[in-house]
Amino acid sequence: MRAIVVRNLVVAYRRWFKPPFRAVDGLSFEVHQGEIVGFLGVNGAGKTSTIKTLMGFQSPTAGEARIFGMDATDARARQLVGFLPETALYSPYLTPYETLRLYGELHGLRGRPLRAQIEALLEAVKLTHKAHTLNKNLSKGMLQRVGIAQALLGDPKLLILDEVSSGLDPIGKRELRDLLATQRERGTTIFFSSHELAEVASICDRILIIHHGKLIAEHRLSDLVGRVDSLEDYFIRTVQAGHDILNEEVQAA
Amino acid sequence: MMRTVQITRALMTAGLLETVRRKDLYVVLILTVLLTLGASAFRVFGVQGLEIFVKDVAFTAIGVMTTILTVLIAARQIPEEMQRRTIYPLMARPITRGQLLLGKWATAFFTASLCFVVLASITLGLLLSLGITVKPIFIQYLLLKIFGIGWLCAMVIALSFYLTPAANVTLSLILAFGSGVFNRLLLMAHWEHGLDVLWLNLLYGVLPHYDYFDMSKKVVFDWDLAPWWVLGVLAGYALLSGMGWLLVGWLRFRKQTIG
Ligand SMILES: Nc1ncnc2c1ncn2[C@@H]1O[C@H](COP(=O)(O)OP(=O)(O)O)[C@@H](O)[C@H]1O
Ligand SMILES: [Mg+2]
Repeated sequence: MRAIVVRNLVVAYRRWFKPPFRAVDGLSFEVHQGEIVGFLGVNGAGKTSTIKTLMGFQSPTAGEARIFGMDATDARARQLVGFLPETALYSPYLTPYETLRLYGELHGLRGRPLRAQIEALLEAVKLTHKAHTLNKNLSKGMLQRVGIAQALLGDPKLLILDEVSSGLDPIGKRELRDLLATQRERGTTIFFSSHELAEVASICDRILIIHHGKLIAEHRLSDLVGRVDSLEDYFIRTVQAGHDILNEEVQAA
Repeated sequence: MMRTVQITRALMTAGLLETVRRKDLYVVLILTVLLTLGASAFRVFGVQGLEIFVKDVAFTAIGVMTTILTVLIAARQIPEEMQRRTIYPLMARPITRGQLLLGKWATAFFTASLCFVVLASITLGLLLSLGITVKPIFIQYLLLKIFGIGWLCAMVIALSFYLTPAANVTLSLILAFGSGVFNRLLLMAHWEHGLDVLWLNLLYGVLPHYDYFDMSKKVVFDWDLAPWWVLGVLAGYALLSGMGWLLVGWLRFRKQTIG
């Protein structure tokens, strides 16, 4: 079974006196279990819209989005998913510990196993010393770590991350990368959007590039080695051309 | 079912913690105590028949403050989660929109009722210390008010899916405070046009009757206990009408884009 299946997905936003705007326009792709897939595209390409649909925050205008075979709008689909939103803000009047307890209980965890998990996660994101400080007194980087810990609650089989590294300092970024590496070893499937192409290159198995809501390129990272100077260079040239420059070269040859 | 209970409890715990840690609550508490104390100050000057006056001020203050608090607490439950985007990690959990709605209603209901009981207890303590007593009908007053708070929370939360927070607070306060006036106008219209006029009956069914849940004047004037079946009927009305409101909210929220 695939971790993610997206078929002919259309996400349109209604506008006044104009036809709806298609932020995602006939997108199809799959993510296999255990894969790490980077979801790339310039600002406004439709990454967040796709991810929100995968999380059931909005219904597809057309097409389908499935998580482990279940429709993405089905609450049960999220039982196996950990999510880190683009702008992660947590209630200013709760502490990191209480924040994690809330999300853990909503996930169906309780009692001693939940407490043990919260303590282990706070330890993993190095927030144990701030566990009982109100969120409003934490720095942006610390809040981002609360977010990371929250995403890992309940041992997700699939992690969906939207522009994770934004707001993290260099040390935070390194720690996040280590955490993702640990998750990868455990066989967790990871699907994430990011602008940090060096980072993407360092952990991904595969990349998808979307542009104006359409998939324009899809490659295993190992296929790119030797064919492009760098992921960054390839990404920029592909997005500027509006289609996969590698296919063009194949056709030209 | 067990899941829904667990989800509701988790949301209530977090919601209560948040409310207690905000400062806005304490302002209301202090204001009510000051009003009651202010009213009782007349006693020092030896005005006769003052007990009823002090009681009236005290119970009016409790009523007004409770209604305002209830509306403010209920109106922020879901819009605030959206504004500060905490709705994302919340709804990333395996919970349905209906469960969130129910949990948020329970949070508002519990928090507002708690505020009301605290307010009423402090005020009662104050009255007793001034040598002013209340009759057992006070218990019925408490109960009925709590039914009313549950009903009001349902209406405000439902409206929060259709209106901006400011518009919601304004409209809800008008409906809550105006309900006594509306009811009297409707009764007069019925008097004039007869009881079988359809649009009047429809209007009567749709308009909220929040004032039915207020027995404060009966406490002030030391009435005897009301028959318990009356409370039963009102509890039934609050339950049915409240569930109707939650359904109205859910119909919108069910398909709404989050964030
Ligand atoms: N709620 C919305 N209403 C209207 N337009 C939106 C909404 N959300 C996103 N868009 C538009 O859809 C396009 C894609 O946005 P988004 O999915 O956030 O892209 P990305 O995450 O790749 O930057 C953008 O042009 C954005 O302005
Ligand atoms: Mg985005």
